[in-house]
Amino acid sequence: MLKTLEETIAMIEEGKVLQIAADDALLQKLPKGQWIGGTTPYFISSEGGVFTKDRLFVNEVDYAEEVRIASYGKYNIFQIVEECYDNGLTMLIMPYGSDVAAKYAKEAPEVEELLMHPTVGWISGDDLEAPSIAPKTYDGTKAEGYSDRAVAMYIRLPEGRTAMINLVNIFTDDKKDPVIRFHENELSATECTVDGEEVVFAEYIQKNGLDPRMPLVADYNGSYINTSIRGTEGKAVGFYAPVFKNVEYRFAKPVTDYAGQLKDSIRAAGAHQPVFSCNCILNYLYADLNGQQIPPYTGPVTFGEIAYQLINQTLVYCEIVG
Amino acid sequence: MDAMIQEKLQKILRRELKYSSTNLAFNMLISKLQKKLQADPGCMDGCMKEMEDFLAKYTIVAKVDLANIAAL
Repeated sequence: MLKTLEETIAMIEEGKVLQIAADDALLQKLPKGQWIGGTTPYFISSEGGVFTKDRLFVNEVDYAEEVRIASYGKYNIFQIVEECYDNGLTMLIMPYGSDVAAKYAKEAPEVEELLMHPTVGWISGDDLEAPSIAPKTYDGTKAEGYSDRAVAMYIRLPEGRTAMINLVNIFTDDKKDPVIRFHENELSATECTVDGEEVVFAEYIQKNGLDPRMPLVADYNGSYINTSIRGTEGKAVGFYAPVFKNVEYRFAKPVTDYAGQLKDSIRAAGAHQPVFSCNCILNYLYADLNGQQIPPYTGPVTFGEIAYQLINQTLVYCEIVG
Repeated sequence: MDAMIQEKLQKILRRELKYSSTNLAFNMLISKLQKKLQADPGCMDGCMKEMEDFLAKYTIVAKVDLANIAAL
């Protein structure tokens, strides 16, 4: 929930284990303690979506048997699968645009064992209207901020309890639509094939009048994973998460009532008791979530979501079951 | 693991049987193993080992999936 700086400092000093999202100026003022953090001024609070640089979104981890915190660069990020608890949950925050985030995004799906260790988290960002800093992450045990390191909180769960990560995604595909395939695992692409025919992707989008606010979707055995389009530079189309060469994509079916469909999808997902959730900045903007509640989901509004791998335009949540 | 379940899991991996879970990680694993098997049809034993390790680790949530798969 949203807290003032004073309230957050008091919680840290009480020894509480916290995940914190806030503007960098606030995170810099926090004392050392059992916390990790990331920058964003956008949140979904219990009162609704809000943009603020005066308060912090604080999520207390009161279900852990034990907690460890560490930070990683691009050369050792995948140590997370070795250093996590066997029965646990890894909470990961990475700075938008950093090498470590790019490395994780491109390679996570190929990492052996990743799916054996529940890993959830988000990409930190900044004020879109007035960007002032490089997005950052914080290791609270050192009270240090990083623009080039991922921070991980390893949470050991009680025996008999398991972390379940899931998502709310308003997008699906139409299996009759053309299949798009890319040649490499990349964060931008010039060429691809559409139903087997080689095309320049930017030209294909333009010629077919496709809405770039709609993500590419890939069907992972019934779970739809989105890759959002960041923009076009010349002939190259940039993405917020990588496309993968061995995955079939289609453009998402158009959504006419973005906010309504998001709320319908949340209702359809059923009642949950998430211990963590985050929602994409694109959902926040396109569904105009400022001032709107989407119970039971509260948390940071993010610049990429992590549900094992990096995904986009999705609400990600985690529950503890058993 | 029950031989009947094993057979059905193998059919799911060969895409001869369709099963989608409510567990995101299980769907991601099925999708990954299906691709692996398509690229190398000889790797079924390794894929099944990965699948069994996953289901053994998540016994709490795997119960529902295993019951649903048995009923296919």
